Amino acid sequence: MSSRARKAVGRNVLRKEGHDKVTGAARYIDDLTFPGLLHARTIRSTIPAGEIVKVRFKGDRAGFTLVDHHDIPGRNIVALIDEDQPCLAERKIRHVAEPILLLVHEDREKLRAADVQIEYRPSTPNYDPERSAITFKKIAIDKGDLDAGFAAADVIVEGEYRTGLQEQLYIETNGVIAVPGSSVAGAAGGITVYGSMQCPYYVHRALVILLGLPAGKVRVIQTETGGGFGGKEEYPSMMAGHAALAALKTGRPVKLVYDRVEDMLATTKRHPSIVRHRTGVTRDGRLTAIDIDAVLDGGAYATLSAVVLSRGMIHAAGPYRCDHIRIRGRATMTNTPPNGAFRGFGAPQTQFAAEVHMDRIAERLGLDPVRVREINALRPGDTTATGQRLGKDSSALQVLREAVTRTGFRKRRRALAGTNRGIGLSLFFHGSGFTGAGEVKLAAKASLALTHKGARIHVASTEIGQGTRTMLAQIVADALGVRYDDVDVNAADTGEVPDSGPTVASRTCMIVGRILERCAEEMRARLGRLTPRQYLRAFGPLVITKQYERPAGMVWDDTVYKGDAYGSYGWGCDVVEVEVDRDTYEVRPTAFTTVHEIGKAIHPMLAVGQIEGGSAQGLGYAILEDVVMRDGRMANATLTNYIIPTSLDTPPMQVVLLENPYPHGPSGAKGVGEMPIDGPAPAVINALRHAGFDLREIPATPERVMLTSSVESTQRTPRTPRKSQAWV
Amino acid sequence: MKAFAYVNPTSEKEAVAALKTDGIAMVIGGGQDLLSRMKDYIDSPDRVVNVKGLDATVTATSDGGVKIGSAVKIVDLAEHAAVMSLYPSVAAAAIEVGTPQIRNQGTVGGNINQRPRCWYFRNEEFVCYKKGGSRCFAVNGENQYHAIFGNDGPSHIVHPSSLAVPFVAYGAKFRVLGPNGEREIAAADYFTMPTLANVLKENVLDDEDILTHVILPAPGNVKHGHYEVRYKQSHDWPLAFTTVVLVMNGVNGTSGANGTSGSTIRSARVVLGAVAPVPWRSRPAEDALAGKALNEATAALAGEAAISEAKPMSGNAYKIQIAKTAVKRAVMRAAGIKTV
Repeated sequence: MSSRARKAVGRNVLRKEGHDKVTGAARYIDDLTFPGLLHARTIRSTIPAGEIVKVRFKGDRAGFTLVDHHDIPGRNIVALIDEDQPCLAERKIRHVAEPILLLVHEDREKLRAADVQIEYRPSTPNYDPERSAITFKKIAIDKGDLDAGFAAADVIVEGEYRTGLQEQLYIETNGVIAVPGSSVAGAAGGITVYGSMQCPYYVHRALVILLGLPAGKVRVIQTETGGGFGGKEEYPSMMAGHAALAALKTGRPVKLVYDRVEDMLATTKRHPSIVRHRTGVTRDGRLTAIDIDAVLDGGAYATLSAVVLSRGMIHAAGPYRCDHIRIRGRATMTNTPPNGAFRGFGAPQTQFAAEVHMDRIAERLGLDPVRVREINALRPGDTTATGQRLGKDSSALQVLREAVTRTGFRKRRRALAGTNRGIGLSLFFHGSGFTGAGEVKLAAKASLALTHKGARIHVASTEIGQGTRTMLAQIVADALGVRYDDVDVNAADTGEVPDSGPTVASRTCMIVGRILERCAEEMRARLGRLTPRQYLRAFGPLVITKQYERPAGMVWDDTVYKGDAYGSYGWGCDVVEVEVDRDTYEVRPTAFTTVHEIGKAIHPMLAVGQIEGGSAQGLGYAILEDVVMRDGRMANATLTNYIIPTSLDTPPMQVVLLENPYPHGPSGAKGVGEMPIDGPAPAVINALRHAGFDLREIPATPERVMLTSSVESTQRTPRTPRKSQAWV
Repeated sequence: MKAFAYVNPTSEKEAVAALKTDGIAMVIGGGQDLLSRMKDYIDSPDRVVNVKGLDATVTATSDGGVKIGSAVKIVDLAEHAAVMSLYPSVAAAAIEVGTPQIRNQGTVGGNINQRPRCWYFRNEEFVCYKKGGSRCFAVNGENQYHAIFGNDGPSHIVHPSSLAVPFVAYGAKFRVLGPNGEREIAAADYFTMPTLANVLKENVLDDEDILTHVILPAPGNVKHGHYEVRYKQSHDWPLAFTTVVLVMNGVNGTSGANGTSGSTIRSARVVLGAVAPVPWRSRPAEDALAGKALNEATAALAGEAAISEAKPMSGNAYKIQIAKTAVKRAVMRAAGIKTV
């Protein structure tokens, strides 16, 4: 069987779920129905801060079931990190669109028409993250001696950078169905929840705590999911709780699917940021001191803000070597809907600041932006801000040089000078997997079951469009020595699969993929010379389960934020050319090249797809995507006025993959899902700087570009490379 | 959406008759606007009357113009040979509408009669003037995409139709059929400015009227230019746009009044879109063009003149610059001068 020998890894095999998606056979949550199905509607707060005084249902209540916090058998929290967010508000309101109660009815139209009035006692909201009385999390990273670093500097460059909210905008809105009873081992009195989600075991844990049920009586099954981008990391736990409470109260299946407006108004978005840099640098371009202060707007509840902040701060200094670093970050509370996970998870915000700042340093010193990055780029053996000593798979210089060569960057930069075009670049990195000791604490598990032809993968990692099933099956096929087609993937069903952790943090390939690879290696050894069929006949079922093992030598101290923050980093460099219309201030990216070093591309086409998609989403973040908040409420919660790039707004993309294997990743692979969104925004803003527009904030909408240009024409000051504070 | 009765008339007259009801009846062409309004509960008609079966042809008229059935798909208008050669700005506006899918499905009548894109109007929770309320939320709210001309209120929407603008610029007439027979209305008079007494709709159509045809007169010796400024290059409405139709002195090859060969402008029609509650005809821009040589300097003057009567709201002064640029570049396109 010569085809057996053909490796799956590195080949563009057919996607496991591709056929069903293309033919329309794939079933998403709103395609599912159950006998006796009821629908639920969420009644939400209309004020940003205050207290509920009275709830009144007006009209005929026949056929309606009302569910409020009194119906919660367990604890009224959405269990995640902190325990501050109620599943249904009791008295206090902290943001607009906070869920207060659920109406349940079999007719969606009657449900809509129902009139529930809520009387409030409003209080004064706070929308300013810098003036918040509540800090969810603070992080401090210190390296070396900052004063000594500044003393060694010839020039100090300061700057403040801001990024806005961003909506994940998965195609399929959030939705769940809760069905009373769990069919696991005949457990009666439990609950089964189907839904569009990234993290079935997060939902499972939240339900166990909310409902006060033993783990065995709660079952969570991911249905085909139309995108997540982090937006289905935490909110499905809230929705599953709502639907489950309604299903338990009515004794019937309950469907809860948001329309686009509700999804945009109520669910999590990317944290806005304010990042201040103060950097010491020698005249010849060497960084001597980096001092960073950052604030993330967490919204009304903690959700994942602590860990978003953590990743943001670890990446805040950018991929640069510097002996003296101080980073201070905090995530604070405002009276806006909670912000949460979004592809990149804090790193796009802080690396935006770092990379725009780096171009301003270059400008200040009269160096070209490539040179200043070459001088300072992290090399193997260097230490990061947390003191992590980098291994041989560190590729900052390689990606930079590849991007510069591929685009003829310096020549293009000279050619475009003085035109209505600009070219800019960004250098970035992204840690794969959970931060610090996260993977050790999580102790993810994966299982492989022998089948007659090959094996079946049992993991809780979800396919959300990125290719999880395909990529994991490729890894297993090669490690086990069977054909790709002979590896299949079980549904992400907590009744059937072990907890391999959430599908987040660019961890699915590198972490879960490696656990599965170890399962497959052991299975292959057990099989010896037997085929799967022969083995099963001789010895019966074979299931191998393994748990994450920390690579030897990896250390992390969470109390001082020191050590090996991530097992490995991916490295990227983006080069963007923009054209600015000097009459209308439209900014149009006209060329885009990105070099990504990702260890190993298990499925090159899927990897490139992740990079193109993430880059397009990053261009939207840079130029188009503007969440307008007014009185604590998203004012443009429709696709008419929250606009994202289409293919016509996206320039042709040149994607270059480099492979510098990570010894502890499957076939050397690192993560790839998030990194692409770190680079485009600073590259665009740096290209705009090259075209003469000094922006420090995204999105760079025409209004903002126009204001910038008028400021610049009157306030531009000559800059001289002397040791002075540059308040620019 | 709410359940509704669906009527499939076989003639114009049947369609008009079907609109007579005690409840709310609405016509559906391609459904590109109505369906989303129904899904969003902006409108919940009891009866939906299909008008896709009405005239879907573009025919030549005896005076050298064309007659366009309102059921013509936008894509068919954009690609129609006579439209492309005689009224290139109509074709240019048509090809910029929405997306290929929307152009394949959407109709000329639907484009003209679509409702405003204002985010308060489109949000069920805001009961604004246009939905029977007593406020325009844009006044103290988000008004970055709202009107910069004709801003006396009470509503500050911008008219959303891309085709209406060139139709007004070419002096089109709209044929309307109602219970009392048919009538023809100049395109410029079809669209109505909001007043307290008439704020619920954007045109002269009564509840039982349907728009059946757009009749374009022979263009004559004109030059045309159309220019749109938009955030996104697809799936979006423009921020501001302009059609200019310039009647030129002399015919090709003969001398104009000042000796240049047919290159001076006798008269101009300058119509701006997405800047006012109606397709906005700019008399100052037209006056600035009349009698001038057609060149970039004249184009710039027209742009300046066009914005002289602008009155922005709190958050949309930037649109003045965009409208000015759209006028200037539309004139430049008419002159065959490269714009960017």
